[in-house]
Amino acid sequence: MAQHQVNYASSAGLPIALTSVDKLVNWGRSNSLWPLTYGLACCAIEMMASGASRYDFDRMGTIFRASPRQADVMILAGTLSKKHSEFARRLYDQMTEPKWVISMGSCANTGGMFNTYATVQGVDRIIPVDIYLPGCAPRPETLQYALMMLQKKIRRESANMNNNTKSNLRLV
Amino acid sequence: MRKYTPKDNVQGKAYYTDRFWVAPRVPRLDVEAESHFADVVKALGRKAKESYVEIGQLVVHIKATENFNVLKILKESCGYTQCSEQSAVDYLAKDGEFELFYQLLNISEAKRVRVVCRIKEGEAIESVQPLFKSANFAEREMFDMFGIKVNNHPFLKRILMPDDWEGHPLLKTYPMIGDEFASWYEVDKIFGKEYRDVIGPENRDPARIDRYDTKRFSRVGYEVPFGADISEGEIENPIEYSETVLVDYTKNSSKQLDERR
Amino acid sequence: MQQPNKLTPFFENLNFEREDNTMVINFGPQHPSAHGQLRLVLELDGEQVVKAYPDIGYLHRGIEKMAENMTYNEFLPTTDRLDYIASTSNNYAYALAVEKLIGIEAPRRAQVIRTMLLELNRIISHLFFVATHALDVGAMSVFLYAFREREFAMDLMEDYCGARLTHSAVRIGGVPLDLPAGWLENAATFCDKIDHEIEHTYGALLNENRIWKMRLEDVGVISAENALSWGCTGPMLRGSGVNWDIRKEEPYELYSELDFDIPVSDRCDSYGRFRLYMEEMHQSARIIRQLIPMYKKTEPQLMAHAPQYISAPKEEIMTQNYALMQHFVLVTQGMRPPKGEVYVPTESPKGELGFYIKSEGEPYAYRLKCRAPSFFHTGLLQELLVGTYIADVVTIIGTTNIVFGEVDR
Repeated sequence: MAQHQVNYASSAGLPIALTSVDKLVNWGRSNSLWPLTYGLACCAIEMMASGASRYDFDRMGTIFRASPRQADVMILAGTLSKKHSEFARRLYDQMTEPKWVISMGSCANTGGMFNTYATVQGVDRIIPVDIYLPGCAPRPETLQYALMMLQKKIRRESANMNNNTKSNLRLV
Repeated sequence: MRKYTPKDNVQGKAYYTDRFWVAPRVPRLDVEAESHFADVVKALGRKAKESYVEIGQLVVHIKATENFNVLKILKESCGYTQCSEQSAVDYLAKDGEFELFYQLLNISEAKRVRVVCRIKEGEAIESVQPLFKSANFAEREMFDMFGIKVNNHPFLKRILMPDDWEGHPLLKTYPMIGDEFASWYEVDKIFGKEYRDVIGPENRDPARIDRYDTKRFSRVGYEVPFGADISEGEIENPIEYSETVLVDYTKNSSKQLDERR
Repeated sequence: MQQPNKLTPFFENLNFEREDNTMVINFGPQHPSAHGQLRLVLELDGEQVVKAYPDIGYLHRGIEKMAENMTYNEFLPTTDRLDYIASTSNNYAYALAVEKLIGIEAPRRAQVIRTMLLELNRIISHLFFVATHALDVGAMSVFLYAFREREFAMDLMEDYCGARLTHSAVRIGGVPLDLPAGWLENAATFCDKIDHEIEHTYGALLNENRIWKMRLEDVGVISAENALSWGCTGPMLRGSGVNWDIRKEEPYELYSELDFDIPVSDRCDSYGRFRLYMEEMHQSARIIRQLIPMYKKTEPQLMAHAPQYISAPKEEIMTQNYALMQHFVLVTQGMRPPKGEVYVPTESPKGELGFYIKSEGEPYAYRLKCRAPSFFHTGLLQELLVGTYIADVVTIIGTTNIVFGEVDR
């Protein structure tokens, strides 16, 4: 009678991986970030370029969705004007939890070069922002890097969003 | 003393101009006889108050009340079938008037004419929308930006700014960074006036530095942990700049003697 | 956690109970095929559009106001953000208007470089049009192919000026830099490549594609009179059978010396306009090819010599006292053009892009009006969309090729 000895810890053992629920959930969340196609201005063109053939966002599990109900990330790409600010907030409210916001480009961060009556001086006045992305316009590589930073951030946080504190949300 | 800044024109100004400097003028040429432009001026007859050629284009000054008739003549007998652009220039500070211009294009001759007229503040202008449909949007934009009313326009409403906006942005009295209403517009609209204190005023100073902010600013010479509180109980007091350029050095430093020693 | 706000639930976009049996639909401002921030309020009877009302201004940034508060050289990078798909054509239109006002002309090498960059930008913009138009109508693969070639053109721009999108590659009075080594060879290769791809990729995928033709033919028909009256220019006007191209009729730069054709279509519909865009890319490649030998025959001067308005080259500033003084004055105070007004039209990829500048002899423009082609093409939508079906709305928005940076300014 053959003795079957299975070493569960070795790689040829049973397909078991031990992890915590947080890690599992965050692994899923961070590797399928679906951004909202929310092109506002010039940066939207670079956002499209990062979704297109050369920079190829799909390999990172990032697929642009047209509806805020299906999206996890809002990439605010471009100048947010005062007339539009109401709609930006409305779209943010329509997104389901958990949700993250990337502010792409100088105009979205601080108003940038448009220090005028018609421009919101930083989208963080109306929407909480996770990642600020500098540049006018940022290159697609920068957007990819921002998305990777966001993935890193998601992996650090608790799966139960109510448990998140300032210390475990912070990027180092 | 603080420098006097006029209130009727708050746009950018040269901070220094030579006393003897006189700005030259782009040459205004007379309309050559027998040219296409001469025919245009002839067709307009006495409606053209003044006409000259400036940088290759004919400029015709007309009375504001005749704008529809003049444009009709230009369209029907001179072949100016397209109105490329129509807008206004604010001369309220200088003359109390707006200068309106219509930029017309003749496609068969490849010629351009600019029809210029002036209206007083508060006066309205007749719409040219029946002649050129492009004036539909252009006149709405002019109304939005300058507050110039257009008679008989099919849908005169704000176009670029929101409907509940106050003020007309391209007036010379409107500052570039907007007024009080503009600075709180999005906060009032989304959260309500009571959230003004929570969100705080806009930062319009690109060089602003927060001394105790360890998240966005690094220290020079020593390191502090990210996000640490380094204020050590100090109340944040903003850097005070001198309000006046002149400093009174004579205040307590010297004493006037009554008689010569 | 949801923060409290005053926004009411947004249900007013659908209005079912009306006596006249029409439905009001709110299209945008966030819509994937609204090409930016167009908001359309459509009144529908069944599937047919009865009334269309374009609502713009969602990207209004006050660029004309900024022009009144910035010196002429400071304002130039702001023009990048007008039509951000082809930035150099905006820079050029602005620089040309100021050059006409102060009465200078760029040296020949600068003209050759400018013309090359303008045509390269035309290709970039047209590729973007083909990509997004195809994506809106439903041809995803064309989007990916067209962006592949667009990246090569962006590489060329990046080699020249260092930026991908906001170039500022033209200065008032010339260009800031000479072409880097090997640029001309790369440009020639790119021209061959783009010619090949237009024929064998996009053309093969779209030109005779049955679905594409069904979606585009006889959709968005504009008559020539209507196009003129609404202020249409560029491919919108040529697509209606009017042979009008500012490069031919009022030539600027080197266009009078170059040999190229202006494609005109009298189909008046979206398909005709699409074929026009494809043919214009061929013509742009042809122009770039002609410019390559012309570049080699030019003198190396890049900026016009006009010490009152334009700083001397860097070597002179560093070695000559007077040049340094002029440079100091021009940087701290800005140039002061003579009093006068100028309107200069140029043929941007979208149509007639003109700058009206009113100068009062100050370093700041008294009034700057940007005549943007897309602004008037958006106005056309309120007539063009009436009577079409809701499925064609996206095709018609795509075919007008509007860019909201210049619609709202």
